[in-house]
Amino acid sequence: MLTLLAVPLTLLTIQQPGAIAQRLAGRVSPNVAALVEQLGTAGSARGLPVDPLIQKAIEGSAKGIPDDRVAAAVRRVATLLDTAAAALREGGLASDTLAITAGAFAITAGLSANDITALARVGARPQALTVGLRVAGTLAALGVPPAENIALVSVSLRSGKSAADLLLLPADVESEVAKGLTPAAAAAGLSRAAAAQARHGPPPGHGQERPHPPAPPHP
Amino acid sequence: MRPGAEPTDGDIVRAVLAGERERYAQLVERYRDRYARYAARMLGSADAAEDAVQDAFVRAFDQLAQCKEPDNFVGWFFLILRNRCFAERRRSRATAPLEAADSVAAADRTDGGAETAERRRALQLALLELTPDQREVFVLKHVEGLSYGQIAERLSTSVASLKMRMHRAYDRLREQLREHA
Amino acid sequence: MSDHDFHPLVKQLLDGDLTLAELPAELRAEGEEALRLLAAADRTPVSMPAVTWRVMAALERRRRRIRPWLLAPALAIAAAFILWIWPARLTAPPPLVTVRFVLVAPDAKAVSLAGTFNQWDAHATPLVRAGATGVWTATLSLPAGQHQYAFVVDGQRWVPDPGAPAVDDGFGRRNSVLTL
Repeated sequence: MLTLLAVPLTLLTIQQPGAIAQRLAGRVSPNVAALVEQLGTAGSARGLPVDPLIQKAIEGSAKGIPDDRVAAAVRRVATLLDTAAAALREGGLASDTLAITAGAFAITAGLSANDITALARVGARPQALTVGLRVAGTLAALGVPPAENIALVSVSLRSGKSAADLLLLPADVESEVAKGLTPAAAAAGLSRAAAAQARHGPPPGHGQERPHPPAPPHP
Repeated sequence: MRPGAEPTDGDIVRAVLAGERERYAQLVERYRDRYARYAARMLGSADAAEDAVQDAFVRAFDQLAQCKEPDNFVGWFFLILRNRCFAERRRSRATAPLEAADSVAAADRTDGGAETAERRRALQLALLELTPDQREVFVLKHVEGLSYGQIAERLSTSVASLKMRMHRAYDRLREQLREHA
Repeated sequence: MSDHDFHPLVKQLLDGDLTLAELPAELRAEGEEALRLLAAADRTPVSMPAVTWRVMAALERRRRRIRPWLLAPALAIAAAFILWIWPARLTAPPPLVTVRFVLVAPDAKAVSLAGTFNQWDAHATPLVRAGATGVWTATLSLPAGQHQYAFVVDGQRWVPDPGAPAVDDGFGRRNSVLTL
């Protein structure tokens, strides 16, 4: 059976009174719901997204985690959102809930507030920066160290790569790692290639790489 | 595919190409062990062999549309694995083969005593000093138990050239074993 | 011919074309040495049970970097489960991406998917077992963006996707990450 989701979740800020309680009704304990309501309302007033708080509360409850630990995890998410928002402001980006959510994810995955600021300072449009932050977080989850990670995503953002191209970076790194490179070396190589491409345009035959065919009988 | 019958390699290849990617697991399950020993002896390490077999299956998947005879998937797969094993040895020639052969020897100690294990280890080390094509013909004949005719068919070559390769391998193995005795 | 070379007749012995008894007496010792060499060949069978799930996990990782326009047409058809439906207007919801999830779990009796896209509901999105292979799949249309998820095996065990990057879930486990 295929399950197609008709109602995609959004990461929009919820500001209507009672909206948070509605999302949480029947899914989490009253104590956790009250905490999310309190943190979410206060965060909304500062331009922070609420959805990550709701998601963490629901996730904890679904996984059967005790209330005190769910509450601690929700508080941690609230802190991460604050940290990400401050880092983005430092980089010159005004409040953008999607970028803040992506920044908080990148920090969870292993990047620092300074790394987020560095990406914001590239000066990409908010939509592109959001994709860049998501990709940087994914690269961190794949084991790419922060320096190589930020270098790769920055050069890709600067060269004006499309969102679709940015989204391929993690898989490109994985592909190089499968050939025996470390995640750091793979990201560094891709950075150099992206920088060269930005200077000279795509190399001849770029995109045509294929795994080499079987060896002839007498290699 | 015929109802009730075990699907042929060709049935599975065609299903995978039509989008049923998960059916590829059936091919992997069917053939993952067939050349496991070949890869282990070619590379001198069980871990390296497992990586090679995995990588060969992934490459085969990537190139599946180029498999001209889907019903002979396994013959085509063998050539990809062989290519991978040859490339691996080229890449790792600089690494210490002693470590690689240790894993082979360690597994032997339960089934033949220290002396047998030592002889096997010495031969495995000597095999790693051969060229890949010399090592391969030795492994296929004396480990896998294939005849010269079967090897010639699999590698699309002549029995005479295989014998020439093998006879050079015998001499080099003897030389290696004497040097390290 | 060096000192190490076997006599041609001894090589025939090794090839199985002659027996030790057929060798001239002066070559017997060399023949015995040669046979000892052959006896040391390690014919112990080798089994690689983990290869099946390792291959399928590797293919799943590659699924996320498939660029259909670079592939042979037949393979592109196979990969066409990633379909981009572009928004008509900039203000429209994010485009939907159709994604197939696969888990190899031969011993499982039930597998489902829970994540940010289904309110972490462990019952909302069951996977379907493909024959007797132990391969479980589900196909979803998800909005472009970032999603976290895990497989739920037999209604109890939360398992990250072996083919996807993962992050700390804040509860001592890992969530898989899907960036579309």
